[in-house]
Amino acid sequence: MKKKLLIVEDEKNLCLLYREELTKAGYKVTAVMDAAAALEQIKKQTFDLIVTDIRMPGKDGIELITQIMALRKDIPIIINTAYQSYKHDFMTWAADAYVVKSASLEELKSKIKELIG
Amino acid sequence: MIERYNLFLHAFSQEASKELQLFSIIAQSFFQPYSLMDNLLVIMTALTAGPGLGFNRAMLFLTEGDGLKGEFWLGPASAGEAESIWRVLSTPGIGYPEIIEHNRSLLNSEADTLTKRVKKLSYPLYKEPALFPALTASARQMILVRDARNEPAVDRDFVELIGTDEFLCIPLVSEKEVLGEIILDNAITNLPIMARDIELASVCGLMAGNYIYTAKLQKRIVDMRKVAAMGEMAMFVTHQLRNPLVTIGGFADQLLDPNTGKKKQRRNIQIIRSEIRRLEKILLRLSQFFRIDAGEKVAVDLQEMLKLVQDSARARIAGRRITLHTEVEAGLRVIFGDPTHVGEAVRNVLDNAIDAIGDEGQIDLRAYRENAEWAVIAVRDSGKGIPEAVKNKVFDSFVSTKERGMGLGLAYVKKVVDASGGRIEIKSTEGSGTTFKLYFKTYPRKKGTTT
Repeated sequence: MKKKLLIVEDEKNLCLLYREELTKAGYKVTAVMDAAAALEQIKKQTFDLIVTDIRMPGKDGIELITQIMALRKDIPIIINTAYQSYKHDFMTWAADAYVVKSASLEELKSKIKELIG
Repeated sequence: MIERYNLFLHAFSQEASKELQLFSIIAQSFFQPYSLMDNLLVIMTALTAGPGLGFNRAMLFLTEGDGLKGEFWLGPASAGEAESIWRVLSTPGIGYPEIIEHNRSLLNSEADTLTKRVKKLSYPLYKEPALFPALTASARQMILVRDARNEPAVDRDFVELIGTDEFLCIPLVSEKEVLGEIILDNAITNLPIMARDIELASVCGLMAGNYIYTAKLQKRIVDMRKVAAMGEMAMFVTHQLRNPLVTIGGFADQLLDPNTGKKKQRRNIQIIRSEIRRLEKILLRLSQFFRIDAGEKVAVDLQEMLKLVQDSARARIAGRRITLHTEVEAGLRVIFGDPTHVGEAVRNVLDNAIDAIGDEGQIDLRAYRENAEWAVIAVRDSGKGIPEAVKNKVFDSFVSTKERGMGLGLAYVKKVVDASGGRIEIKSTEGSGTTFKLYFKTYPRKKGTTT
């Protein structure tokens, strides 16, 4: 069975890129563009892992992580963001991994593999 | 019964001593919006203002690095001149600006040779052998020098300069720092410096030290804020640039993959192109944002500018059901500002209005004279309004509610309007639209001339 990923990314083109590349890597990918849509999906179906940006319009990624943890405590979460500076922020400790966005998706892919195979 | 008094007294009762008036003037200097130098000058003026009270002349040194640097030397050339200064200061109802004006004219006058001489002076604070006057500041003590010519602890050149045998040195200090020094003498009247004079000077010295220290702290806070803002900006710019770069890189990698089909290749190239345009736009906006202050204020032809702005807005709303209604008051022609930036600012406000509306609605662009001084450019839209939560943050840099917003648009508008000496008003109701009013100074039209 393919592992199921939820991608939360507010940039349309990046959202598309992640969906294509992670599908190619063998995952079943659901990609949404904001936190509200992400919560809706989480209530609807079970995911093996969530990749989310922080600092998005509307609900922030951190707030989303808090809510996900309240709903499904055991889902691993990867923060995938353009900001390097939040890496050591206490608010991001709750996540299982912190990846700074890069044109190469290798780090993101290897972190996903590490967490769920 | 309640009696109210102005905290900042101008006129004093008959019984009030001159000392009290002096302290009042000095204490008020803390609250004046003038420069540190202007206010220190007021303190010095007060110290030297009275015949029979205070001193004839006052010299100010401020700490610069590890030394004391001469700043100014205030004092009348004769007893008669001293009298006239006190008369200026004790005129009932005299305002602070007049005192400042008086001081400035004194310093700028050709005759002010005292300050010219003292400005050339500098003394190291912590070098052996330590001599007066510098030793006063580093020792944090008031020093009364008598018979200066025969006193080996006094710097020879200084004795020569001050030209009198008796002077009082007051250190200006904070708890930990040496901030400067004031040197007072009675070279004109040749009256001896009395215990009462020393007491008076000590209080003035403490207040001046306090004041310099506060001003330094304030400057430090402003600098820290600037650094913090720069840090935030650098982080923001990194983020703004990284997203399009990651997108370009990712889709370029796909292009190199031999399994990518023709159709997908074409799509990728289009995405890459649009992200590159976005990068260009980000850079343009950032450079615009940082260049505003350099702009010159000139007369801007409102009619012409608004026509250009309107044309570009019409191009943007083409194909949508948005009506743009424009109304410029007849006779209103010129406002004061940088033409490029003012035009760009109005364009920004219009862009926001278009974004707030979406596909259907109305925008009113109006320009009118509010009164003789102010012209208003008002943009009203029937859009979604500004959410309550961000209402007081709309002008902050890097705050945006838009998916791809830079958060620079309105910060830019505010910077432009501020730079031209104007102001902005916003009225917004969530769900029923927003009105932005940009206030600009109208161009002053001199009587008898035509523009």
